[in-house]
Amino acid sequence: MGRSPDKLGVPMGGLLAVALALPLASYRANRIAPAEPRGLFEALPLSWALAVVGLALAAVAVALAARRPALRLAVSALMLLALLMAIGEAGRTLSAGGAQYARVAPGVGFWLAAFALAILVTDAIVRLRPGPLGRLAALAAALAALGLILVSGQWDGLSVLAEYRGRAAAFWREGGHHLQLAFGSLAVAVAAGVPLGIAIHRARRFKAPVLNGLSLLQTIPSIALFGILIVPLGWVAANVPGAAALGVQGIGMAPAFVALFIYSLLPMVANTAAGLAAVPAGVTEAAAGMGLTRRQQLASVELPLALPVILTGIRIVLVQNIGLATIAALIGGGGFGTFVFQGLGQTATDLILLGALPTVALAFVAAVVLDATVDLLPGARR
Amino acid sequence: MIRIEGLTKEYAGKAVVRDVTMAIESGTVTVIVGTSGSGKSTFLRMVNRLVEPTAGTVEIDGVDTRRMKAHELRRRIGYAIQDHGLFPHWTVARNIATVPRLLGWPRARIAARVRELLELLQLDPDEIAPRYPHQLSGGQQQRVGVARALAARPDMLLMDEPFGALDPVIRAKAQDDLKAIQERLGSTILLVTHDMSEAIKLGDRIAVMSEGRVEQFAPPADILTRPASAVVESLVGEEDRPFRYLSLLPIAPLVEPGTAEGPPIGTGHSLRDALAEMIWSGRQALPVVDDEGAACGRVTRGALLSAGRPPR
Ligand SMILES: Nc1ncnc2c1ncn2[C@@H]1O[C@H](COP(=O)(O)OP(=O)(O)OP(=O)(O)O)[C@@H](O)[C@H]1O
Ligand SMILES: [Mg+2]
Repeated sequence: MGRSPDKLGVPMGGLLAVALALPLASYRANRIAPAEPRGLFEALPLSWALAVVGLALAAVAVALAARRPALRLAVSALMLLALLMAIGEAGRTLSAGGAQYARVAPGVGFWLAAFALAILVTDAIVRLRPGPLGRLAALAAALAALGLILVSGQWDGLSVLAEYRGRAAAFWREGGHHLQLAFGSLAVAVAAGVPLGIAIHRARRFKAPVLNGLSLLQTIPSIALFGILIVPLGWVAANVPGAAALGVQGIGMAPAFVALFIYSLLPMVANTAAGLAAVPAGVTEAAAGMGLTRRQQLASVELPLALPVILTGIRIVLVQNIGLATIAALIGGGGFGTFVFQGLGQTATDLILLGALPTVALAFVAAVVLDATVDLLPGARR
Repeated sequence: MIRIEGLTKEYAGKAVVRDVTMAIESGTVTVIVGTSGSGKSTFLRMVNRLVEPTAGTVEIDGVDTRRMKAHELRRRIGYAIQDHGLFPHWTVARNIATVPRLLGWPRARIAARVRELLELLQLDPDEIAPRYPHQLSGGQQQRVGVARALAARPDMLLMDEPFGALDPVIRAKAQDDLKAIQERLGSTILLVTHDMSEAIKLGDRIAVMSEGRVEQFAPPADILTRPASAVVESLVGEEDRPFRYLSLLPIAPLVEPGTAEGPPIGTGHSLRDALAEMIWSGRQALPVVDDEGAACGRVTRGALLSAGRPPR
């Protein structure tokens, strides 16, 4: 046909093909025994292995040659689903014969294949140019598929879920802490950052100093910031009546919360000011000339027009906070980071995954939902 | 009646509008012309207090504008600007309804007013009202801007280069429309432009500004025939002067008994139109008809040319 192969299809298809030859899973006789690699045909019953190879070859071919985004999406999504089912099947197969302490985790082949397929799926979705509602629907479908796999018990043979079963209560409790940290600090940052952004937009000479100061705060490494906060918050807890009862302490959730808030300020303030500055001069002049009061100009013209940029700031902050909240565990702040640091301490990779995977998923969901929200605003129609 | 006394604006000690005094009759069109940076917009914006004067007063119907709240003053004065400043997140209908809503008009009255204005500006309400500004052409956006300025029936209209962004054909049409609307509503209009033809076409009086000062404030014919300074003279343009002057004179006084060949011209046209027709069709005289189309005589080239030489 003389067509050159797809630009993204070459590396991702190649990666997928290579991944087939690499170990699909890793097997350990018990939780801390050394990992032994298991190839596709060792880890899966023959029928499953053949099906995976066949589908994967089809996916490679489509990635290389197919032009229609819908076809690319259908095949790569189907392959991704098959891969997710297969790793569960491997967990069941490998632990079936062995002792009850056997651990099965996804191997390097699985991760590479999953990565390549995730890229192919998102690329196909981008090529389809779905509207915001389409993107939300795609997200909902992905979450539903994930939920079904979890509920069906297909993954129960995997060691991550074994770790989960051992600490289900803690998982949900720390998940709650994680959300409290990320959303709570975001809410406070919005409440403080938007008015501050409005203020520096109006009093221009404060703009540069305030933004520079906040940038400086942003550059403090998070661990250092936690450390810096321990002293003043400890002092507040000891000396301000009622503060300790509210949970203010030198370590724990309070300094983590304050640190996340401090990191959130710059994006909130800068985006609010930038959004307001981008309102066309003719529009602000007309608003004043029509006889809107200062407050009406702000509420019904300037803020609505700046909203997409402000929401972009919220998106940045939320994704950043969901990631950063992981570190809160270092100073006893809780969150999914608790498992990550426990896992690091015990060199238990599965436990690290138990903390890391939900964090990544949360950040991803937050990003997609907020992006779609920005596009759904009337101002985005311009 | 608008009385402006000693109006001055300084930025960083430098006067951009200096000691302007003028009286503007109600129901007239005053056009402010001048080169770029001469202070026209600043002057206009001091009338609705978008710019606070450094010194001087503006009185509207005997009331000092400083005694009113700025936003209440502005709701009484229509305001239209060059890049129309339509609110991009509101539909055309909502844009036009801005001031009536601020004034708390009932819903039904606002809806009726929006329809009425769109029709007045020759825009189809059913088609245009639900659109967003970016879905309109430049000319349509400009007309919606004017409709918005007229919405709450202001007695007074401030317009800062309202036709600046339009092509010459649409621009001429917009000027005609504005003139017709003004005659019908009897509004007082203060319009800024740097186009002398537009000033002569629209203005009952013209204020020529230069370096913050009003050099001359007079009817168009006086500006043309008796320029008060070299600046005014250069703005008028020597080679265009006779044609601009002819464009101010009606045909009616020059009509004499008699007949002429060819298609007739209406009494409503200017001498400039008549001259153009004579040159183009190679005729010495044109038959003239009145508004009803009845023949009422002719106009000759000789009479026309001598009328074009103003009395000195
Ligand atoms: N807010 C301001 N601060 C400082 N100087 C200003 C300000 N507004 C206007 N000026 C200055 O005042 C002078 C007059 O400006 P203005 O906008 O009134 O001119 P204009 O006659 O409307 O010009 P144009 O035809 O280009 O619109 C200019 O030199 C301008 O730089
Ligand atoms: Mg101007």
